[in-house]
Amino acid sequence: MTDSTHATTPEPVTPHAHTHGSAGAPAGDVILSARNVTMRFGGLIANRDVNFDIPRGGIVSLIGPNGAGKTTFFNQLTGMLIPTSGDIAFQGQSIVGMAPNEIVALGIGRTFQNIRLFGNMTVLNNVMVGRHVRLKAGWWASLLKLPHVRREEAETRQRARELLDLVGLKRNYEDDWAKNLPYGDQRRLELARALASDPKLLLLDEPTAGMNPGETARMTALIKRLRDELNLTVLLIEHDMKVVMGISERITVLDHGELLAEGRPEEIRSNPAVIEAYLGKGAASA
Amino acid sequence: MDAVVRRGLVIGLLAGVANVHVSLVGLLISLQTRQLVAGIVTLGSALPLLIALLAGYLAGRYRSAHGEPAPGGRILLAGALAGLVSGGIAALLVVFITQVNVSWIFVNASARLVSGLHFDQDMLVGSVILVVASTLAGLLGAALHVLPRHIARALSIGLIVTLVFALMEPFLGAILRNLGMGAVDRFLFSGGGLTQVGAVIVLAASVAITWAWRTRGAAVTSRRLEAMKPDQRRTAKLVAYAAIAVLLLLLPQIVGQRLSEVLTVVGIYVLLGLGLNIVVGFAGLLDLGYVAFYAVGAYTTAVLTSPSSPLFSPELSFWAALPFVIIAAALIGLMVGTPVLRLRGDYLAIVTLGFGEIARIIFLSEWAKPVVGGAQGILSIPAPLPFERDPQSIYYPILIFCVIAALGAVSLANSRVGRAWNAMREDESVAEATGVSTVKYKLLAFGLGAAFGCLSGALFAAKIGTIFPNSFDILVSINALALIILGGMGNIFGVVLGAAVLVGLPELLREFSEYRLLIYGAVLVVMMILRPEGLLPSRTRRAELHEREDEEEQFDDEAGVDTARPLVST
Repeated sequence: MTDSTHATTPEPVTPHAHTHGSAGAPAGDVILSARNVTMRFGGLIANRDVNFDIPRGGIVSLIGPNGAGKTTFFNQLTGMLIPTSGDIAFQGQSIVGMAPNEIVALGIGRTFQNIRLFGNMTVLNNVMVGRHVRLKAGWWASLLKLPHVRREEAETRQRARELLDLVGLKRNYEDDWAKNLPYGDQRRLELARALASDPKLLLLDEPTAGMNPGETARMTALIKRLRDELNLTVLLIEHDMKVVMGISERITVLDHGELLAEGRPEEIRSNPAVIEAYLGKGAASA
Repeated sequence: MDAVVRRGLVIGLLAGVANVHVSLVGLLISLQTRQLVAGIVTLGSALPLLIALLAGYLAGRYRSAHGEPAPGGRILLAGALAGLVSGGIAALLVVFITQVNVSWIFVNASARLVSGLHFDQDMLVGSVILVVASTLAGLLGAALHVLPRHIARALSIGLIVTLVFALMEPFLGAILRNLGMGAVDRFLFSGGGLTQVGAVIVLAASVAITWAWRTRGAAVTSRRLEAMKPDQRRTAKLVAYAAIAVLLLLLPQIVGQRLSEVLTVVGIYVLLGLGLNIVVGFAGLLDLGYVAFYAVGAYTTAVLTSPSSPLFSPELSFWAALPFVIIAAALIGLMVGTPVLRLRGDYLAIVTLGFGEIARIIFLSEWAKPVVGGAQGILSIPAPLPFERDPQSIYYPILIFCVIAALGAVSLANSRVGRAWNAMREDESVAEATGVSTVKYKLLAFGLGAAFGCLSGALFAAKIGTIFPNSFDILVSINALALIILGGMGNIFGVVLGAAVLVGLPELLREFSEYRLLIYGAVLVVMMILRPEGLLPSRTRRAELHEREDEEEQFDDEAGVDTARPLVST
């Protein structure tokens, strides 16, 4: 059951994924790999021995019932939580214990489940903050407004506008307060802010939550386009099965903090363990 | 009883209590000495009317549970009621103190108080005037909500300007005489206030100018500015800056010795406010112990420059000591910043409060006495050559540092650094997840805040020549914080205005200094109710505090006449 090429070849779905490949896939194929990641909050175990690989360039979904530990896992990938045990490697480098801003600098960007924009900053400034890690202007140079700082600011503004265009936010919004945007646009803005740091891996926490079918379809198309045009790898948490099945190349299922299954969408769809986790005992056989 | 009327009565009662309070503590009598309009009304007599006006205004601010204002008639009724009740209570107070002798408890319950409340009229006429005038004042206050916006705005600004002119008589008069316009002075001012003609002119002019600006001027100006070519616009800007620069340079000569002294104090607080504004306004770190930086700056300068510094006395010049002051600032900034990195909000405030007191107590202690002189402080600190210790001269170094600090603060605010601070202020964990190193930017905010605070302290020491530990008590921190809140957090011009109002006005009105804290407190309370974002808020603050009124303001924006928007926003 151990395999080294799970990223490219279909494999049998494993109900217990502990067995699932820790004996390294070729480093070029895997952009992020988590090994035996466990997160405890006192007596509560939010993640137990999760093993997880994300193939470079893929769109991977993380699904599971509410409370399965998906967002907790996300927070460990971005440094907002530090795993109790286990290791997370991004492009072969362990990121456990790094500060969130250092991880952003390495190339992991994220959005949040409950949109968390800087509400009292303008739309454009939100995106420009997102670019922070790629900018060099120090405080001293900023204080003096040295020529290279002015140039960098102009470029950043330009880049931020391009990103707003890319995610489909109207130009005339750029000086509005982020908090005044309609809901769907706030999601887009959060995406633009995450993209501004030039991530290699983009983590999206329920990017279509609360959207109507039309908006959802546009967001799904956008995610695919971003992956192709910006050479991104995308990991998303999603509840909308239509989105998940439509967009994902691989799906990982978490339940009660443990990895339940991993595979291609059609495999996951017919996996009895997954159906049971979602619908309860007996549903799979019915 | 309906809610609007009830609100009017309650606020009227509160205003009545305020009337009784200012009467019995003696503020009213003390303001009696100044004329507001010669021969008509003194400041003291006007006080109950101002209180009634404010009460009427507050009563008229009624909003139903759905956020709807009351119909105009009800608002006016509520305002008039508030004024009536407030004036009525004052009138009852007069009846009470003339019938019952309470002057052995309240020394101010005297005949002078009675004549003040009664506009120097006899008993019956006096109380009628008091009650009727209060009612009218309340009505006027409420009418500000009913009148069209620009008229109400013009009226209220007109009233404020007239009041300020009257209060400022000694200084405005002196300035006019300095400029060789004694005739204008005699025409407008008399006996510590405005002449009758002067009052009418000032009121009419300020109302007319405000009205014209609100309805046409601002829109026309911005349209003209927009119509200009870029290089023309640049020239216009340069001309404006040059005019401001010339004015600032000539200010001490124009205003004279006494007022220059006030300007230097204001300048020192502007610098202090600009520094605290970085920490609190930009980065959102509530620092209640800012005086620590001020004290370290002052003591570093004193020790390094004064020949009477006890232990170590290199007798450097002010300018040679300056680099060491900056180094001391950086060190103290890190010392305060590092331990509080993980603290947020209230906890941070309490810890910094402690730091402020620690600084003062160290400078006062026996332990540090060999170096900093304990309670005796350090004497004979030299002035920063080539400037002399003369308000008109020492104004210039203070001005220079204020300008540098203000320019620095503006460019930081609109840079990568300012954005990072803002993001941190909005949501610290998201800022970090977006790539901002919160450790670095918190320390930077404390470091720069410390640098400004230390510079301010250095100038204070050089200006005053002698420093004692007790010059550095918590009131300095509170003043600095209050002035940025009053002026408008996050805005540079707000800091200047806040310093002028909170530090400058009390310096000018020394004769009422007994009541300084009373007035101070009242001003802050009223401000927080009426305009929590401060006089000249940054766009951000405004957005935070006025979510409900957004639409109204946007309407104003479209007309291009929003005077509330500052020139520099963050």
